[in-house]
This record gives sequence, C-alpha cells and structure tokens, in this order.
Amino acid sequence: MKIKNIKSLVLLTLTTIIAGTTLTGCGGGSTSASSGSYSNGTVNIFNWSEYIPDTTIKAFETKYHIKVNYTTYASNEEMLAKVQASKGQYDLAVASDYMVDSMKKQNLLETVDMANVSNFKNIGSKFKNLAFDLGNKYSVPYTWGDAVIVVNTKKFKGDITSYSDLWNSKFKSSMVVLDDERALIGIALKKLGYSMNETDPTKLAQAQAELIKLKPNITAFDSDSPKTKLINGDASVGYVWSAEAYLAEKQNKDLKTFVPKEGVYLWQDNFVIPNGAKNKKNAELFINYILDANVDAAIAKSFPYSSPNEAAYNYIDKSILNNTTAYPTNGVIKNGEHLKDVGNSLKIFDQVWTEFKQSN
Amino acid sequence: MKEKECIKYMIQLVAINKSFKEHKVVNDISIVINKGEFLTLLGPSGCGKTTTLRMIAGFEEPTSGEILLDGMDVSTKNPYERNVNTVFQSYALFPNMDVYNNIAFGLKIKKSSKEVIKEKVTKVLALVQLEDFGDRYPSQLSGGQKQRIAIARAIVNSPKVLLLDEPLGALDLKLRKQMQFELKHLQKKLGITFIYVTHDQEEALTMSDRIAVMNEGKIEQVGTPNEIYNKPKTKFVADFIGETNLFEGVIETHSGNKLSVLLDSDEKINVIDGTLDKLKQGDSIYITIRPERMKLSHSKVESKNMLKGIVKERIFIGSINKTVIKLSNEKEVIINEPAIDTLKFQGEGDEVYVSWEYEDGVVIN
Amino acid sequence: MKKTKKSKNQKQTSSIVTTISPVLLWMIILVAIPLVIVFIMGFLTRGIYGQVEYIFTFQNYADLLKPMYVQIFVYSLWISLITTLICLVLAYPFAYFIANVKAKYKVLLFMLIIIPFWTNSLVRTYAWMIILGTNGIINSYLLQFGVIKEPLKLLYTNGAVILGLVYTLFPFMVLPLYASIEGLDKSYVEAASDLGASPLQAFLRVTLPLTMSGVAAGSVLVFIPSLGLFFIPDLLGGSKTMLISNLIQNQFLTARNWPFGSAVSILLIIITIIFIILYFNKSRNKGLEVM
Repeated sequence: MKIKNIKSLVLLTLTTIIAGTTLTGCGGGSTSASSGSYSNGTVNIFNWSEYIPDTTIKAFETKYHIKVNYTTYASNEEMLAKVQASKGQYDLAVASDYMVDSMKKQNLLETVDMANVSNFKNIGSKFKNLAFDLGNKYSVPYTWGDAVIVVNTKKFKGDITSYSDLWNSKFKSSMVVLDDERALIGIALKKLGYSMNETDPTKLAQAQAELIKLKPNITAFDSDSPKTKLINGDASVGYVWSAEAYLAEKQNKDLKTFVPKEGVYLWQDNFVIPNGAKNKKNAELFINYILDANVDAAIAKSFPYSSPNEAAYNYIDKSILNNTTAYPTNGVIKNGEHLKDVGNSLKIFDQVWTEFKQSN
Repeated sequence: MKEKECIKYMIQLVAINKSFKEHKVVNDISIVINKGEFLTLLGPSGCGKTTTLRMIAGFEEPTSGEILLDGMDVSTKNPYERNVNTVFQSYALFPNMDVYNNIAFGLKIKKSSKEVIKEKVTKVLALVQLEDFGDRYPSQLSGGQKQRIAIARAIVNSPKVLLLDEPLGALDLKLRKQMQFELKHLQKKLGITFIYVTHDQEEALTMSDRIAVMNEGKIEQVGTPNEIYNKPKTKFVADFIGETNLFEGVIETHSGNKLSVLLDSDEKINVIDGTLDKLKQGDSIYITIRPERMKLSHSKVESKNMLKGIVKERIFIGSINKTVIKLSNEKEVIINEPAIDTLKFQGEGDEVYVSWEYEDGVVIN
Repeated sequence: MKKTKKSKNQKQTSSIVTTISPVLLWMIILVAIPLVIVFIMGFLTRGIYGQVEYIFTFQNYADLLKPMYVQIFVYSLWISLITTLICLVLAYPFAYFIANVKAKYKVLLFMLIIIPFWTNSLVRTYAWMIILGTNGIINSYLLQFGVIKEPLKLLYTNGAVILGLVYTLFPFMVLPLYASIEGLDKSYVEAASDLGASPLQAFLRVTLPLTMSGVAAGSVLVFIPSLGLFFIPDLLGGSKTMLISNLIQNQFLTARNWPFGSAVSILLIIITIIFIILYFNKSRNKGLEVM
C-alpha cells in the first residue's frame, strides 16, 4: 500500500468517524406519531420524561387528527432554560409549583382559556387555587406527589426515620439521588431544621457543608429513571419521586419506602402554555383530553404519579389508591412543604450545587 | 581439518537455499570469501544477489544451508548479533538524528564512552572527507554526502565484514565513478572484507578483487575480473560481461591443446586452449571471442582464424570504432577497434575479412 | 498584452472565490458568528431568573479564577491527560500490529475499530453500563463462578469514566498512529538492527521517535475531544464528577448562567487552541511530517 493511499484511507475514515460522532444527538427523544392524516395541525409538547405514555399520545393524535411533537426534559431548570431560549417553540409544558411562580414573574406564560378546558371540574379542590397561581390563571394541575426515601431492606436492616439517617457512613456509595438542586439542597436544609425555601446565606452555607459530607454516600445522580438502579441493585438506597418509588417496590419486593419525620418535599406538576405558543387551541385541547377521567386513569396505570383528578379515582385501581407510597396520606401532606420561587437567592443555590457536585 | 580451513576464510556460504513461498530465489549457493577481500556479487535484477547479501547480514534466514562468519555458524543469529555492517541502497540515515549521532549510533549501543565515541566519529568523518558535517541533518545532505555518511556509520563500528547493497545506484555518472575509486581506496586502507552487490558489470570489474556472477539464484562463475572477462566459463557469463561474439560448432579434430571446429557455415576455425583435455571429437561447443580481439582487413590473413563478411554498420563511440559485420551464414559479429586511424575507414557494403588469433577464442561447454 | 494578463488574474481570483465561498459562507455562519456570540456573552450578566441581561462585566472571567473552578479545570485536564496516555499505550501496539500484518487481515482489523462507530456512541455508553452494573455481565459471571462473593463496584466510579472515554476515543489514536507506523521506511529499523540494536533498542531509538508525528496527532485528537464529552462522566460516573464539560452543561441547563457558561466555554476553546499550537510547533521544529 502506497503511503499516499494509506493517508487517504485514514483521512477518509477519520472524516467519516468525526462526521458520524458530530451527528450523534443527545437529549430527549421524540416520539413520532402513527398513521393518519393530520388535518388539524400540530402541537409541540415539552414534558418530563416518563410522564405521558406513548399510547395516550397516539390515541390523542388519532382522535383529533393533530400531530404531536413530543420532547422531554429531566428537571424544571432544564425546561426553563429551553423555554427561555426558544420563544414559540413549545405550545405546552409541565412546570412544578415554584417554577410556575417563577415563569409567571418572567412573563413566560400565557393565560389558559378555561372555556376550552371543561374537564377542569374533574380536579379535586385541594389541588386548585394554590399560592403559586391563585385562581389557576396560568396552570392546570396534572400530577402531584412527593419525594421519598427507598431502602433495600435485604441490604440494610432498620427503618429510616429522619433525613439525618442518610448521612450514616454505612450507606457509603449506595445511594441514588435526584439530580435536582432544590430537592437535594432541600434535604440538607430539612436535616438542619430549616425550611426548604430558606434564603439566608449563612444557613445555605451550612447546608452546603452538610451536603459535601453526604457526597461519599452517593453513587449516582439520576432524575431520569432512578428506579432502574434500585431495581437492579446498582443502588441500595434512593431519594426519588414517589411514583418511581412505587414502581420500584412493585418490581423488587426487597425495597421499602420511608417518610422522614421532618416532612417531605411536596410537589405538584401543572400544565402551562409558554408565551408565544403557536398552537394554543390545540394545547388547550390536549390538556382537556388528559383531564378526561378515563384518559387520566389510563395514564395513572402506566405512571402512577398521584393524580389530582378525583373524577378519575372511580377508574383507578383501589390497591394503588390505598398504597401510601403512591398516594401519600393526608398526614404526610400536612407535614410536607411545597417549594417556592426564591428569586435572587437562586444564584446562591446554584453556587452551592456546583460546589457540592465537584467536591470529592 | 575442516575447522582449520574454515578459519582461513572470513565468510563461508555452504549450500545456501532461500525460497519465498513457492519461489526459489537462491539455489544451492556455496562460496568462500577471503579476509580483506573485495568480492562483488554481480548479476541482473532478480538473480538473488541482494537476497544472498541480506542473508549474510541476517535480515533473511536461509531456508537451508549454513553461513559461517570467521569460523562461526551465524545462520540463525540476528543482525544485531553479527559483527557485520551494511550500507543500504537507500542509505537509511536516521532522519531524527544529526550526522554525528547517526554515525555514533552503533557505538552508543555498545555503550562506548563519550570520549571514545568522539574520537572514532571524528576519525571516520575525516576518512570520508566530511569533517564539518557533524551537526547537519540527513535532509540537508546531497546524495553523495549521504552515501559517505552511510559508509562512515557502518565502518566506525570496525565490522569484520562490510556489506554494500548497490550503494552507488542513485548517484550521477561522474560522482559514481569518483566514488568507485574512493571506495576501493578505502577498502584497501582499512583492510575490511567488502561484499559488494551490483548489476553494473563495469563497476564490478573496476573495484573487485573477485567477482561472483549470479543468474537465477545460482553462481555462474567466481573469479578475478580478468578471469571473468577473458575466460568466461558459461554462455551467460560471456554474454553478461562486456560484449562478445559467440560461435557454435562441432569438434572435428583434437590434437594436444589445439582444436579444429566446424561451424554450421561449413567454415572451420581453430582454438588453442591448454585446459580442454576432456573434450573429444564430435562434441558440440561454443567459442567466444571478445570484439577487441578481432581485426578487419581487406586481404586474406594466414595462420589465424579468418572469416569472410560484409560491413553492415559502422558506429563511432568516442575512443572506439565499432563495426558490425555480416558473415556468410547471416551471422553478425562485432569488432571494436581503437579509433586512432580514421584512414582505415571501411564503407558499408564493403567486403572484409575478420581475423583473430587461435589463442584468443575461449571454449565454453 | 498587459490587459489580457490582468483579466487572467482576475479570472483566477474569481474562480478561487467561487470555489471556496460555499465553505467560507458555511464557516462564517455556523462557526465564526456563533463563536463571536459566545465570546460576547461571556461579558454579559445573568438576570435573576437566569435570563441574559445586556450589562457589561468582567465578573464571569474573574470568577474563573475561583479555587472551586480552578480545581475543576485542573481535574478535567488531568482526566483528559490520563485518557490520552492510556489510549496511547493501548493503541500503539495495536496500530503496530495492524501495520505489520498481512494485507488481507488489515482490512478486517480496521473494520473491528470502525464498525462500532456506525452505532451511536451514547448507545454504546449505555452498553457499558449494562456490562459494568452491579447485576451486569461482569459481576454476574464472576459471582456465578464463585470468583467473588459480593458484586464489584465497577459502575459510577472514576475508573468507569476513564474506561468510557478511552473506549470512545480509541480509534482516534489508532488511525494516526497506524498511518505513521505504516509510512515508516522498514530499512530504518533494519539499519538499527544492523548497527547492533536489539528490537527494544531499535524501537526506542528509531521507530518511536520517527512515529512521533502520529503520536502527537493521535494525542491531540484524543485529548481535545475528551475535554468536551460530558455524557460519559454523566452516565458512567453517575453524574458525580464535575468536569469542565459538565460545568459548561450545568451552566446552560441547570444553573442557567449563560454568561458564565460562555466564559468557561471560551476558556475551553483557548486551552484547545494552545494545545493545537503546541502540536504544530513541535511538528514543525522536528522537521517531521505533519499529519
């Protein structure tokens, strides 16, 4: 082989590899719809991963002849960043309570025309008219739940009663936790007896110190699908969303959920319509569709995040409704805390998070 | 008995064969090379001369046979275990080192001290007349300079044998002729045994103490340049070295050391050669006569071989007049005469007589 | 006469311009302009909610000097350096082997390296998670045959991250090394051997120095991308390590500090440019061939 030929072969190979690698996409996947004509246009939906099953999306497309472009994210902050960056790209998004508050203040949301969402009546009253969006002008509740601690009782005997139990060195390299700054900084604050919405820099500095002590116990951060790690044994303790905990328990009988005495991180996810949405009517139609009792019950079967849709309770399996992991008791709800938008102090939270992530 | 004999020779190749896959490149070669000798392996491309050289160097292993270096069997030894050095056709000077370090390479491997290295390298640079070139890089040298540095790099290690693989092939004619003399002088001065490979027979004749003519993996003849030229033993050697005129014929009479031979043109020629006892009447032989031993004349000549012919072509080559004569049986012969007497010019188509002495013909079996 | 000459030059220039203008246009729109945007953004300020405010400040670049961030940069460079070294040590023998093997096997060996590249590198990283996991392939086998009692912690470690980086970038080291070794004149090695060098000595003194251009090219092609591959520390490291790539990703997604993220990005670009300049200088100085 002549030297010139070899060089050409190598260069061609390298170019192909580099081109191929560059074209590798990463980030949320998109589901493409099935057959059928889309005479009624499209709707661009941006949602948490593992939140609405494919079957529901396809059923909506078939029923209304609207094509759904579906992309996902793993955290509120990721969603916010993308919505801030691309006005008009998304017609519908799902924001947690504090994020609704934050986006409202930044004029990132359109008002929802409730005339187009008649199924709003299905939602239980204790989920409506909450502090972050009085009168539900901008948001429609979708799911609610909390974040709980899961333990593989085969590996670790004994109950968890307090967040501070997680700091025990016996849990070294065995925890999977949410990759979520408010959630994690929150448990450190809770451990110290403070509110999850604390903004005092001194107290946040204490929380940072605590978190850094917790780091050795953490084997992985995962907001996408932490239950996988619990089920297959990569992690023996988890701080995960309630639905993830419920599914994990179902798959692996050794896993058990615990609620710490300081109170849980309570959350509610709501449909919002980003400012500049091109297909607002289709978005409202979609919300209404999801809020249908039967549709919501079907979703609850796949992803049993607790539903605020009390009309759907008639169709949801009683065993799930009675499961305290999936549907926290009223007592847990009372003791729990919703996140609030912390305004300018978010910068401190960011710094704490960065320091924590890069510590050893 | 054999061992005593062996130590007399620097190199002994005993029944060496080399095949690559199914192809036999070197076919049963045996030769001895004396200490301090300049021996050339001469032959056309593909005759196996380079492969033979590489086997002596250690880059190829013989399929069968032995290689003895100064009495020791080195057939299976690696190149770095033999005390021979090679001058490569492409020089192979290390581009990442300057001239000094190229030359010092072998000494550094032997872990010579810095002072010894400096002394030896300086000495050898002077020997090849490139004293100030120590800090130049190979890319900055001309062909002839690279050539000399390659030689310096090899001889600085005081090898028992120096192998040279067509080292002058890439140089222009004038430089080549100059280097031929320089190499010959160098070899005489150092007293190292040189084994030289070339396809250029003039080069071989100029430089060698002895020549081994090779063809298709075999050695055709080994001898001094004089022997090879004037007493070729095979048709190939006669043909390959210089020009020659080859006659084929049958022995009519054989008395003493004189042969009478009948050519197929029905003409007769005589050959006097003292080494031909084994030939008898009726044998077919070849007779070869060098062009410069033949003479042209207008009239018949007595007590010499004489053939009648017609001038076909006259060629003037500087110092020689070359004439092509067509003989009676359509055979062509070449006669070379010194071009001193232009008055003897014979025109094309002229009738001439070609003659040569009985002793000038060489018989080949 | 002069007139025709001038128009000929004009014709040449205009034909050159037409040939390169598509590429030039592409480079300007997709490379130059975004770079300028990132550069400028590094001097802007982050708003309360993470939006970009057009207030000029040096703070972002000043923040780069904070010990917390310096530690991240140093650690990233360190990981990339180890990745490059491991790739080099593993790839050199492999490239050497391909260069010296018969022609018909060369193609086969090349395909072994190239075929994985026809699949998504993200998918292949997930494959490693399956291999290294607590109930993964390696642990299952070892437990099955009683070699170990408890599963080994292979995944979510620094070792797993380096494994992933080395695995992904391996071909980029092999190919330039191969070209360099293959292009090496065999007679240099023969000459070294002839002059008394053992195979090891010949390798160290002749082969290795003469294939340095391949080593340098391969190192650059591994080192620089390794600084930017954030998904491997995320997946194989459990998102536990904050390398420069994760830091940048974090600033743009979670922390929503685009100005600071831009400043870090520009720093990364500068580090990259420095290494490329070093590479070119080294190649030029030695008078060796540049790949």
